[in-house]
Amino acid sequence: MELKKLDKSVLKLWYIRSAIISLTLIGFLVSIITVLIASEVPNDVTIAVSLAIGLAVTLLLCLILIMPALRYKMYAWGYDDKRIIVKQGVVFRHRVVIPVCQIQDLHKIQGPLMMLMKLSGVTISTAGSNFDISTLTTDEADLLIDTLEQNLEKRVEELKNEKI
Amino acid sequence: MKRFDKGYIYSSLLSDLFGIFVIASIFLKNFFSDKSVETEDILHIIPFFVIVFVVVCLCFITYRIMYYKTSGYELTDTGIKCNRGVFFRKRSILEYSKIHAINKKQSIFHRIFGIAVLTVDSGSTNTSHQAEITIIEKNKTVDLLLQELNVLKEGGVQNGIDSGEELLLSDKDNLYNFTSGRKMLYTVINIVSTVFFTALFALLSIIVIGICKLMIQHDFLGTWGEYFLYTFLIAVAAMLLFSFFTFIGCMIHSFVGYHKFAVTKRGSDIVISYGLLERHTNTFSYDRIKAVKISQSLVQRMLGFATVKLEVIGYTHNTDDDNQNVDLGVLVPFCKYDEVGEILAKVLPDYVPDIKQTKSVSYFPFVSWFLLVLGIVISVVLILTVTILSLFNVAASVIFAVSVAIIATGIVVFIVKAMSAALSYQNNGIAVSDDKITAYYGGFVKNVTVFNSQNLIAVEDVTTPLRKKKGIASLVMHLKTNALSNEVKVHIQKDEISEELECQLIL
Repeated sequence: MELKKLDKSVLKLWYIRSAIISLTLIGFLVSIITVLIASEVPNDVTIAVSLAIGLAVTLLLCLILIMPALRYKMYAWGYDDKRIIVKQGVVFRHRVVIPVCQIQDLHKIQGPLMMLMKLSGVTISTAGSNFDISTLTTDEADLLIDTLEQNLEKRVEELKNEKI
Repeated sequence: MKRFDKGYIYSSLLSDLFGIFVIASIFLKNFFSDKSVETEDILHIIPFFVIVFVVVCLCFITYRIMYYKTSGYELTDTGIKCNRGVFFRKRSILEYSKIHAINKKQSIFHRIFGIAVLTVDSGSTNTSHQAEITIIEKNKTVDLLLQELNVLKEGGVQNGIDSGEELLLSDKDNLYNFTSGRKMLYTVINIVSTVFFTALFALLSIIVIGICKLMIQHDFLGTWGEYFLYTFLIAVAAMLLFSFFTFIGCMIHSFVGYHKFAVTKRGSDIVISYGLLERHTNTFSYDRIKAVKISQSLVQRMLGFATVKLEVIGYTHNTDDDNQNVDLGVLVPFCKYDEVGEILAKVLPDYVPDIKQTKSVSYFPFVSWFLLVLGIVISVVLILTVTILSLFNVAASVIFAVSVAIIATGIVVFIVKAMSAALSYQNNGIAVSDDKITAYYGGFVKNVTVFNSQNLIAVEDVTTPLRKKKGIASLVMHLKTNALSNEVKVHIQKDEISEELECQLIL
């Protein structure tokens, strides 16, 4: 089965999310430094605390800004009439195989940013666990849900006939 | 539609009264033990207290009567109907063919009025934390209903519930006997587990306290050392208190919770009954069992004992808490590990575990990531602590002592992890036969899960770039279970096993 890559707009969405998180972190760092200066803490303490938190925030920022590209590079998904395969993960690489006949419900999820960018997440519910195909274009998501629905009906019928 | 038995009102009110009495006595005890309270205050508060008591009682009485009036059940030709609820009315219809589990429950208050609660469940994932049908009836009627529903779910014909035939579980049918001797041993082993860790903790405490005392005597740590000593003494006292309560809890759990524990087989059904204060009789079909889990704690493992649990969907408490549901699925609370195969062959012949066909291929991956993360955490904590202590001009001897303590803690944590990893390396493995998968996993607690391949929902493999080069992967099998974490993870195996498992999936 040939696996597909995610649409480029998904990477854009992940970068926007990273930017929001980065801004929050920078805001946190700035507010701590402001509080330290305002409360007239000795200068060496202010510098030491700012350095410690600044170092942690810089490391986190690097991770936050690099992760979307790496995540995008590693993400792949695909399906045929019998199974769905999702590959993901940067350090720990997961590959999950979900049989179509085990699907119980399919959910399409959109947050405000996703709605603006015409993107959707799909959750596949089974009797065991829920599996996410993190972000697709809304057209892709609709097509995936429709196709899986048809494949599911077909497979259930086939399995019934096999049993008989 | 037939109403529930009137005993429901009386038993519920008795249980409510008991609850009110307990809460009121706690309140009154605190009130009267307060020396600042004058006799006049007491006289003033009595009418207020009586009014609150009467109002609360009236509320409970009204609610129970309304629940009785609005609830009921009916056995139709195709299924069972049930209405219940006062503010939120629930109407459930469950077809006989979709019945997954039938459970009978009788609390001490129910027994006083001769009633019992019957819950019937479809095993739907959406309602896995609550039964679809609840019936509260006279104990005899519940037994007859239980018998009748067992026939109906197998496609039998409805006979009415006035046949007068009683469902009895005779001792000679019992497939597993949880004798008093075994209960005592079970309690002792549970306690030994706690005592073992408490003793280990106490030993470490004695060493640390000794060192602290020595340091204080030589004025090495000053007041910091005293604070540390007090904290340690409080922690030791808390641990001992915890051990004491564990002992009491274990005794109650094994002698009261598992009172008259019996496993019986009736045709294609398995019946498990137990409990003194709250008596449970749980019935489920053999084909509804999703998995069998054999687990051994460290102490159980050292002494060669095990516990066997069942995974049956729809066989739950009305709660989202997995831990509470775990108790419901106990098939064998305590037996010798060597006996497990023999017991399972009698009760569940399709779930006898197979011998491990594969094993973990390398030890280092079990500790590599942990070592990296621990190293980073310890380094960060050490740097931050030393910096902060230096900023506050703390004596160099104290900074040295704290640094040694942090490094020593890191080493202890790593030793524990290394031990757990060694056990995991020894345990992890898999056996795949025609329709059955046996997964061996766990570190300090050894687990063996046996399940039918038709209950395997999805297969996942987890690897890293380096592990992929060496052909190593951890396998995650997603199953149909009641638990929220319905996965079985077998670590550090050859990645080709993942393909073998994928072949077991029903596509």
